[in-house]
Amino acid sequence: MVPSETRNTLTELRRGVLEFCVLATVRAEESYAFEMVRVLSAAGELVTSEGTIYPLLSRLRRDDLVTTTWRESDAGPPRRYYRITDAGRRALATFGDDWARFRDAVDDLLDGKTPGGTGDGD
Amino acid sequence: METDPLVRDYLGRLEAAAWMLPGDRRRELGEEVHEHIDAALAAAGRQDEVAVRNVLERLGRPEEIIAAEVGPGGPPNPTQAPDPADPARRSMGGVEIIALLLLTIGAIFLPLIGPLIGLVFVWSSSYWTRNQKLVATVIVAVLLLITIAGLAVGSGSAAQPQTTRSM
Repeated sequence: MVPSETRNTLTELRRGVLEFCVLATVRAEESYAFEMVRVLSAAGELVTSEGTIYPLLSRLRRDDLVTTTWRESDAGPPRRYYRITDAGRRALATFGDDWARFRDAVDDLLDGKTPGGTGDGD
Repeated sequence: METDPLVRDYLGRLEAAAWMLPGDRRRELGEEVHEHIDAALAAAGRQDEVAVRNVLERLGRPEEIIAAEVGPGGPPNPTQAPDPADPARRSMGGVEIIALLLLTIGAIFLPLIGPLIGLVFVWSSSYWTRNQKLVATVIVAVLLLITIAGLAVGSGSAAQPQTTRSM
């Protein structure tokens, strides 16, 4: 049985990183929401409630990190395609750096390594 | 595609939970989720109750989706589309002060002309909204007409009000 606290921690962690994971799914090429959800779900651990991607996409659009275009689809109604903007790329790059340092710091601590110098002040 | 009762129920709950969202966004979110359900059922290749329940479960509870939209601490301001009539909130600058002076004491020192120039300044400023500018214009126009009528009467000329007949 998974303690509920662990679940909550994961939820909290997801909340902070999910928007950048979503941005990463359109870094190479534009995509539509259903496909983005599929990619995120396949990555594991990232999405529990698929519906929450829509509020997130709306926020990314509002913050001009993505732009959208409606396109015809082979089957079914037209789809809204999401494309990353320059601002989105910058945000993603910044997050990438932050994440690497954050991950290394946590890993070091969890592995019981003593930090070589100051943790964040270099 | 005929909407499954379970799906209809789900979308109803979503709409109910979204009451605090602006109408446009509430509709859009409902459509997005509806299309997601259709796409997921199409991908599953079956429409039976089990498939529908699985799709809805993966979507998460409607309340969860709305909570993600609203964010912690209530509805975010940015949810509301920026009002184009609402200029950036800033303090008054020189143009606004000149406009106000011309509209008020300008009427004493520069009768008739002062307030008119004041209006030009008002319209050139982005401080006030369009409606506020219109109100100012109407007030000045009415006061001008009263003044002109008063002058006409005062000068002793026949100041018969110009009545427009319906026919």
